[in-house]
Amino acid sequence: MIEVERLTKRYGSTVAVNDLSFSVAPGTLTGFLGPNGAGKSTTLRAILGLVRPNAGRTAVLGRPYRELDAPLERVGAVLETFDAHPGRSGRNHLRVLAAAARLPTSRVDEVLALVELTGAARRRAKGYSLGMRQRLGLAAALLGDPEVLVLDEPANGLDPQGIRWLRDLLRALAREGRTVLISSHVLAEIAQTVDEVVIIHRGRLVRHATMAEVEAMAAGAARVRSPDAERLASLLAEAGVDVRSLGDGTLAVAAGPERVGELAAAHGIVLHELSAERATLEEVFLELTGTEEGA
Amino acid sequence: MTTLVGAEFLKLRTTRGWIGYVLALVVLTGIGTAAQVGSAAELDLITPEFQRDLLSGSLASLIAFLLGITSVTVEWRHGTITRTLLVTPRRELHVVAKGIAGFLAGVALAVLAVAVVLAVAVPMIAVEDASFVLDGEVGARIGRIVLGAALWGALGAGFGLLLKSQTFALVAGILWILLLEALLTLLLSLVDVDGAADFLPAQALGAFEGSVEDALSPAAGGVVGLAYVIGIGLLGWVRVEHSDVT
Repeated sequence: MIEVERLTKRYGSTVAVNDLSFSVAPGTLTGFLGPNGAGKSTTLRAILGLVRPNAGRTAVLGRPYRELDAPLERVGAVLETFDAHPGRSGRNHLRVLAAAARLPTSRVDEVLALVELTGAARRRAKGYSLGMRQRLGLAAALLGDPEVLVLDEPANGLDPQGIRWLRDLLRALAREGRTVLISSHVLAEIAQTVDEVVIIHRGRLVRHATMAEVEAMAAGAARVRSPDAERLASLLAEAGVDVRSLGDGTLAVAAGPERVGELAAAHGIVLHELSAERATLEEVFLELTGTEEGA
Repeated sequence: MTTLVGAEFLKLRTTRGWIGYVLALVVLTGIGTAAQVGSAAELDLITPEFQRDLLSGSLASLIAFLLGITSVTVEWRHGTITRTLLVTPRRELHVVAKGIAGFLAGVALAVLAVAVVLAVAVPMIAVEDASFVLDGEVGARIGRIVLGAALWGALGAGFGLLLKSQTFALVAGILWILLLEALLTLLLSLVDVDGAADFLPAQALGAFEGSVEDALSPAAGGVVGLAYVIGIGLLGWVRVEHSDVT
């Protein structure tokens, strides 16, 4: 469980996070979205005890991060900034963390294999590509086999195969019952992976919804394709329904598929396609934040 | 705490930064000792004062101080402080671990410096048919040198915690020891309060090690030096405690 309660953080006169509250239920995979500068990284750092709030509180597993015993074994984190010494090898970076957290060195080799970085483990980190750095960050996050993961843009720098690997890894972690809070600007990627989304804008919460709720935001709309689209459009318009032609005999209709189907049947109009419209995460995100920037 | 201090030494060993410090200590101490013995008159070689004065902790202390600074500021410079504080979110533990690691690094550097002095001086003096006398007084001097360098190492860690910026902390530390404290001593003597200069950090720790004359007693110098370590360490802890890691 991750809790954020009335969190406010200011940097000088800039309010990065403004009275933000949300919680992440145990065992869920939650996307944390917002335009650039919305306050996502500040919120994640506040959750991890790296940033001191001006007001409000955060807790992980019922306690402020700073009060957790053996925090590496409770919470794993990947943050946007690279946090390994460039002159230290990836393996030694993890050895240092394992030593400080009293974890066996054998665990270092396990997580290196898990993130597929064994081959480069003894190379100095300054020679790592962006993708390798992300994998090393994930290895550090998984070192203590934690039940909660906080991931800030973990897909950054990963190639398409890497993104697919990350998606599979996250799904596997979620199946094991872990709680994952993940921020990403790749909305399509997030939509395929998470159970819930928390969307913030200018430091404030604008929506906390399950993916089913997000998709239902376009409920009551349908897409229909017919060889007699012009006639169907006229009949729908006469019935007071907004209709928009998408070309090629396809219509976007502001009514449910039941109503469209019944009307077509009543007038003997052949349909080649009739489906309920579902909102995409991107559409909902853009509508709620009023921006076309990335999350 | 043993675990955290062990991790600090693992951090030190798994990068190459410490090698330069150790090489500088060994080479400069070796050359300095050889020059001192080589240029001494034959009669001086057997005097206890000359032999004691060969054992100076100044260089080991300076390097312990700089290593202490670097051990802390490198974390902020390369962003490793983020991961460090995720593993050790109670920042007071991080501060104490850095201080103890600086202290122990100072011990190791001073022991190494004394070993180099003896390794160079003993055979050179033996060539002149004299011998280096390792009596109780020399032993006490070695003990104070080792403890003094340890305090310098811890002081460096505190200084690094306080300033965080590596370049600023190293330049400020070197300027303080080599220039500013001497200037301050001069200014204090001009206004007839030159006794106050004895309480400046390098003067006090120098008195403790026995490398500064006409100053505080070794015991008083040690107490003043320890007070600096604790005071600057506390200020460093306050700075780190209130720092956002962004």
